[in-house]
Amino acid sequence: MLAAIPLWQPFHEFVFMRRALLGGLVLACSTAPLGVFLILRRMSLIGDAVAHGILPGAALGFWFAGLSLPALTLGGLGAGLSMAGLAAWITRRTGLREDASLAAIYPISLASGVLILGKAGKRLDLLHLLFGSALAVDGPTLTGMLWVSGISLIAMVLIYKPLLLDTLDPLFLQTVSRLGPLAHGVFLTLVVLNLVIGFQAIGALMVVGLMMLPAAAARFWSRRLPVLIGVAALLGCVSVWLGLLLSFYYSLPSGPAIVLVAGIAYLLSVVFGPVHGLLRRPPLLTSQ
Amino acid sequence: MIRCEDLRWGAPGQPLTPAANFELPKGSLTAVIGANGSGKSSLLKVIAGLQKPLSGNVMLDVPRRGSLSFLPQQQHLDRQFPISLQELIAAGLWGSKLSPALRSQKLAAVLDDWCLSGLEQRPLMALSGGELQRALLARLSLAEAPLLLLDEPHAALDELGQALLWKHLHNWHAEGRTLLIVCHDLAAVRQHIPQTLLIKSSGCVLGPSTELIHQQPHAQVA
Repeated sequence: MLAAIPLWQPFHEFVFMRRALLGGLVLACSTAPLGVFLILRRMSLIGDAVAHGILPGAALGFWFAGLSLPALTLGGLGAGLSMAGLAAWITRRTGLREDASLAAIYPISLASGVLILGKAGKRLDLLHLLFGSALAVDGPTLTGMLWVSGISLIAMVLIYKPLLLDTLDPLFLQTVSRLGPLAHGVFLTLVVLNLVIGFQAIGALMVVGLMMLPAAAARFWSRRLPVLIGVAALLGCVSVWLGLLLSFYYSLPSGPAIVLVAGIAYLLSVVFGPVHGLLRRPPLLTSQ
Repeated sequence: MIRCEDLRWGAPGQPLTPAANFELPKGSLTAVIGANGSGKSSLLKVIAGLQKPLSGNVMLDVPRRGSLSFLPQQQHLDRQFPISLQELIAAGLWGSKLSPALRSQKLAAVLDDWCLSGLEQRPLMALSGGELQRALLARLSLAEAPLLLLDEPHAALDELGQALLWKHLHNWHAEGRTLLIVCHDLAAVRQHIPQTLLIKSSGCVLGPSTELIHQQPHAQVA
């Protein structure tokens, strides 16, 4: 049946689909290295905390300024960073485990975001904010996505080496360079920026899926970091393209459609991936 | 040179020893011994600037960054990290201004030095504990720092690996570098390392290894 679906027609015919595709593709490319490093740094849950945190901020932005891109973005950025920061602060001050602290922040963010949106009126479709809409990618949003993706990719190239060493062996990096904390800070900022700019097209709760699922799937395809990042970007791009088609033909919200395709890619990778996939040999055991 | 003045370290409010004062001259080779939990690894981290002392000062004759190499215990590395042995070792050339040709020459030489030739492309996950330890020592060799702090460098090394390690340690000592080594093998310390810093809860004692360690061929701390 899929073969019968014209794979390019909607993008050829509709400007909003072309915008959503281009925005999604650049976002998939810029979130790929971020997702891979989040997993390597054992910080996968941070993405979730930020994505949930975006919601009340964006809702507040909408309440005060209406459907304005800068207000939604700034609100999301501030709240996303605050929520992730609050979780980290609680962990540092009280010793509560980091995963528990992050898990406690999600429902607070989600509930307050939904309540604020309820109070703000019904003009902004809650479903669009939570799960995304291809229609939401207008000219300014697309420009924002292109800027954020471009800046992210350039920044990741610049911090790649210190970030890699800071992830693998922070003690070593500290003895040779001061760049560790800077690389960490830039990296976290990029994560928040990408989640914030992506939430309008993919949805606040779904954009983190586009960041993490291709990255988790890539782990089953290679043991080399640059290849992992490339595979994650490719899987993300394919998910955006197929997800938007599904969304178009079956009138589905774009975010879940994209994330579900990425989810299928992940499950296929778990089964068929050459690096420790279920159908392959057991993990190469070492003496440790 | 490493000079520690009134140095106390450990968890906040729980110093591991009374305030310690000692000086390790430039070019010295010193072992750090003591029971488990006596604070040997923490002392190395404090000297390396990776952990704050509870009180007192550490003074070095070289800047910490770039002139000091620290080899922590190898369990700190994520063995699933998608990186090859060569990429791990090449990090030792951080900040060097060498040409790409010279870099690969040095890299090849150090791989050969530590008997790692042929394993360049092997992922971390596929390395044995001994191979990984030699890789970390090779990275340290590449950095050519004048001050070396090594926490159990012989861990996971087989007999051949240990012989290789001692050979390099003596070479580094002969080159005039300052070395401070945490070691549990007291017989080896007595044989190879002239000076020992013994850490006890009652205080630190610095002296000749032959005096501080009584002749017990197979003596092991802890």
